[in-house]
Amino acid sequence: MITRQLSISTPIFILIYGVQEVVVNQFRLPAGGFSVFLIFALVWAILSTPDVAAVSGFVSGLLMDLSPSASGPIGQWTLILLASSYAIAYFGSGNENVKGNPVGVTFFISTTVFFTEILFVITGALLGVQTGSFGQVLLTIFGITLWTLVITPICLPVFSLMHDIALDTRSKI
Amino acid sequence: MRYGGEGRSRLLLIVLIVSALFLITLDLRGVGVLEGARQGTQTILSPFQRGGSVVITPFKNFFSDVTHLGRTRNQIEKLRSDNAKLRAALLNRKNADAQLLKLKSILDLAGTAGYKILNARVISQGSSQSFSQTITIDLGTNAGIKKNMTVLTETGIAGVVKEVYSHTALIMLATDPAFRVGVRIAGSQQIGILSGRGSRSGSLQLLDNQTTVKVGDVLLSRGSVANRPFVPGVPVGYVTAVDNSAGAIAQSATVHLYTNFATLGVVAVVVGAPTVNPGDALVPQKPQPTPLPTVTIYVTPSPSPTK
Repeated sequence: MITRQLSISTPIFILIYGVQEVVVNQFRLPAGGFSVFLIFALVWAILSTPDVAAVSGFVSGLLMDLSPSASGPIGQWTLILLASSYAIAYFGSGNENVKGNPVGVTFFISTTVFFTEILFVITGALLGVQTGSFGQVLLTIFGITLWTLVITPICLPVFSLMHDIALDTRSKI
Repeated sequence: MRYGGEGRSRLLLIVLIVSALFLITLDLRGVGVLEGARQGTQTILSPFQRGGSVVITPFKNFFSDVTHLGRTRNQIEKLRSDNAKLRAALLNRKNADAQLLKLKSILDLAGTAGYKILNARVISQGSSQSFSQTITIDLGTNAGIKKNMTVLTETGIAGVVKEVYSHTALIMLATDPAFRVGVRIAGSQQIGILSGRGSRSGSLQLLDNQTTVKVGDVLLSRGSVANRPFVPGVPVGYVTAVDNSAGAIAQSATVHLYTNFATLGVVAVVVGAPTVNPGDALVPQKPQPTPLPTVTIYVTPSPSPTK
């Protein structure tokens, strides 16, 4: 069962990562743009149990760390996405108001992206990563959150279907 | 049973957190394996990024037009009148012309200063999720690109080569918060350090507390030892605001960078420095105002009043 789930999940994660690096990163969108891979990782986490979310967050973070444009040390995104994915799955588990409602999921994911970016800035400051002036950081964080709010409803049905196919959890939104 | 499950879950979480912290420690200590992993990812991604860049260029132009809607309204109105075929042809031609113009301007700039350059196409813009400002170009070690080389655009400095791979290179843009370049003010030759701020404006810190800076002063790169990472004389930007706060050790200022980082399509990497310092030769000329013809009408009053 686990082998089957892993063999389906792995290519999906690599595919979305490829889309992010090859397609989305080609555009320099205003206010920081969005990360389709980050949205995907959080959608995957919210639809999973906290254990699965932690593992998927770890893998997603590791992939984001391997991105050549990542500024922090390898492991920073791994740690952050592990925490974010676990948290989103933990707070979302059993709460059907959030999990069963696409609007709820969208807001929940946008909020998590907001806190994830703040966490990145804080850990970055501890690890010596330069993130720019306070105003610019604030603009980028709000920009990314707003972009996530717009993009998540578009991607949600596809990501939910992928999760359903891979893990066979019947948690499709 | 329930406690066993919770315990296992907690153990998994601890193992993953420790693994992440272990990775951070290894990377900060400079273990080569992890850097190799990032290089491997870039090597795998670069052919796809190259292909993606070709396919996505027309869409990028569309988004660029949308974000500058106010400024391109007239142009859009004009294009509406054309048919679809002409529009597509025009778009392709526009891309080629713009790139050609940029390349010509870069060659002019490099030729004036005597820089030996290699032109490169931008194949990917770095993600802003990590608050870094980077681009990837389609030249790497196979073309002679090395780490810490200056990168130019047609108007001035674009950034510096941060990482080099076999067929691609990662460029840290001058807008990156970690970017630092030694600059001097054209004319007065005062020196300072310019830092990126995440946007097109940079922050200048003068090194000498006796010197002053004023709005409109042009900044040029000061050059580095052995011309790496920066060759001398590259236009960087001009001063837009001066911070005169009392108690500051040295004067600081806000600088508008010459390069428009939103439209980077082609750049040039300086692979050979000039034998003679170009000095202020590359200071951009100020735009000359176009004279407006004035019409003077002389009116002579008639001897008899009109009714």
